[in-house]
Amino acid sequence: MADDLNSTYEYPFPMPSEEEVAYSDGAIKGRTPGSPSAYDKGGSTRWTPDAIAEVQALAQLGRYQVRGYNCFNQRMPTFDDLTFVPATMTRLPLEGYRESCDMTTVLGAGTGLVEKPLELKIPIYVASMSFGALSASAKAAIGYGASKAGTMTCTGEGGMLEDEREASQKLVYQLTPARYGVDLEHIRKADGLELVVGQGAKPGTGGLLLGMKVVERVSKMRSLPAGVDQRSTVRHPDFLGADDMAVKIEELRIATNYKVPILVKMGATRPRFDVAIAAKAGADIVVLDGAEGGTGASPELLLNHTGIPCLSAIRPARQALEDCGMSDKVSLVVSGGIRTGVDVAKCLALGADAVMIGNAAMIALGCNSPRYEEDYHALGTSPGACHHCHTGMCPVGITTQNKELEKRVNIAAGAERVYRFLTAIAMEVTMLAKACGKSSVHNLEVEDLRALSFEASAFTGVKMAGLDRAFTW
Amino acid sequence: MSEKVIQVGHRDIRIINQEFLAALEAGYSVVVTDTLSRHNLGVGLPQSGKIHFDGSVGYYCGGLNTGTDVRVENNAGWGTGEAMSGGTITVNGYSGMSTGAAMLGGLIHVKGDCGPRCGVAMKAGDIVVEGNLGYQAGFMAHRGRIIALGGAGPSCGDALWEAEVWVAGDIESLGVDAKIVEPEAEEVEEINALLKQLGLEERFRDWRKIVSEQKLWYFESRDANSWLMI
Repeated sequence: MADDLNSTYEYPFPMPSEEEVAYSDGAIKGRTPGSPSAYDKGGSTRWTPDAIAEVQALAQLGRYQVRGYNCFNQRMPTFDDLTFVPATMTRLPLEGYRESCDMTTVLGAGTGLVEKPLELKIPIYVASMSFGALSASAKAAIGYGASKAGTMTCTGEGGMLEDEREASQKLVYQLTPARYGVDLEHIRKADGLELVVGQGAKPGTGGLLLGMKVVERVSKMRSLPAGVDQRSTVRHPDFLGADDMAVKIEELRIATNYKVPILVKMGATRPRFDVAIAAKAGADIVVLDGAEGGTGASPELLLNHTGIPCLSAIRPARQALEDCGMSDKVSLVVSGGIRTGVDVAKCLALGADAVMIGNAAMIALGCNSPRYEEDYHALGTSPGACHHCHTGMCPVGITTQNKELEKRVNIAAGAERVYRFLTAIAMEVTMLAKACGKSSVHNLEVEDLRALSFEASAFTGVKMAGLDRAFTW
Repeated sequence: MSEKVIQVGHRDIRIINQEFLAALEAGYSVVVTDTLSRHNLGVGLPQSGKIHFDGSVGYYCGGLNTGTDVRVENNAGWGTGEAMSGGTITVNGYSGMSTGAAMLGGLIHVKGDCGPRCGVAMKAGDIVVEGNLGYQAGFMAHRGRIIALGGAGPSCGDALWEAEVWVAGDIESLGVDAKIVEPEAEEVEEINALLKQLGLEERFRDWRKIVSEQKLWYFESRDANSWLMI
């Protein structure tokens, strides 16, 4: 038989014993055969140490896991898969250290309906993070820092905090489905109103704030009992589809006498269609939050396995506006995992009018900073790896409602750090823009980019480096 | 109080609302004609005054009201009195979906039936419905009372927080995490006093008070340490 591998060959010496055969490679006595690395690190592609730990945690808890921060899915593509191709022979660069590059960003002026569009000094602002998720001191510090940088912040779900309104020269007020504390007074104090239909960290799911963080002040603002987990509604209470949303937007315009722009924020899922619908419903600004977006608390599976990356969402969103003939009318803001000015510049080149930062602003403020190390260790983590926003035991006082921990936020110093970070990343954007020959950051374009991977090219339509054509299926 | 008549018809809704505000702030009592069930009539009304819509209205009538007394002669559409913080809204006919959504205070009185999700996410105030409640009345309502003299449709009191749904008639089914409790005599007196104030007949009603069972309020513990294994 062809596959009969039994051998009739006989050695010219005695057959070795089984013990000699097993141990002649020097392996540890008693170990069964196999690759040494398989014993030390695990070799299964499915049952990795992380997967095993997750099953064990679920088996112990009997419920899904919850945590804060953002997406830990290692497969998410990043903006690092794109590179800029600055001006060389076909284009002229601007003098990076001498010539100026305009950064002024106006949002919500395109429809012509709004008396006071949002005018920002830089194309970056701080994302919506609620009072409740963040401490009042953190909110105030971010507000002051953003104001000094000539840009704005956003309230988040928990209502309008006096500290933040006072600190923020420009403040967008969120109307989430839970409508915590939403009334006419706050609506009229806002510089913009944001209707939230979803967020990148957990699209298709409402907000979450665990009971540990629902202290008296938070409870009062949200009209809910203190100490109780707040799992907010996901659907708006008074509109369902796009046609109803159009009426809702008109209501908000009437309530503010057409003074401020209306933003519609959504998680990035089907941007080609969702953005078109929001624009047609009457939004002045569409805010698109990629799957890398942060949150104070979420079921972990939603953080890691829902939504599409920011990288892949921007071009279809811009295309949607083009398709509707609304590209000049409706502003597009993107967010989700934006770390530096390089990421911001890439977003602008892909089609965004402005970029929102959340986690980056928190980190600038002091999140994960190497202080109070013993408190990080008590949480089972260390500076640089902490994602325990959901517990309310933030060692640096940012994502907590514990008064003692909150004292660790130095509002003045924190504001200055946020300001300096915003300024620094804005400078980074202009440096790239000038290298690409642009006198305005808003002139950055897709042609200024090349993709370093087939994936990034396929996601964005950006030409492959060296090939000068986009990857197509 | 002198009266001002404002006609709606097909005119610009923004201008109509500006006229309402100007008239109310000038101390007029406003009568609105030719309403055509238009949406967004009477949005963001001031802290005092009276406005009477002589017809039916569309979505969000009296939305964000801060204290004006609103009367709708016929029917009202979705989101009547949404996020209102004061004043009263009286609907002589039927009221559509999400009546009093996210309201923060004040009183809504519907003489006919209410559509689904009456009082959804309401934070305070009272909604009195002389007819029946549609499905999911009081869905995720934080605080306040919904009082129905008729019955209630499916999933009544679904996922309530601290709000209460009072039903005098039949209840088709309770929503998740809802339970019926025996009201205290004092509470019934309060309800009766409110109904009397609205001119409703004083008589015995077999009240069922629906509140949260609070099983959905916590994952399992208030103790932060239980979350640290992640």
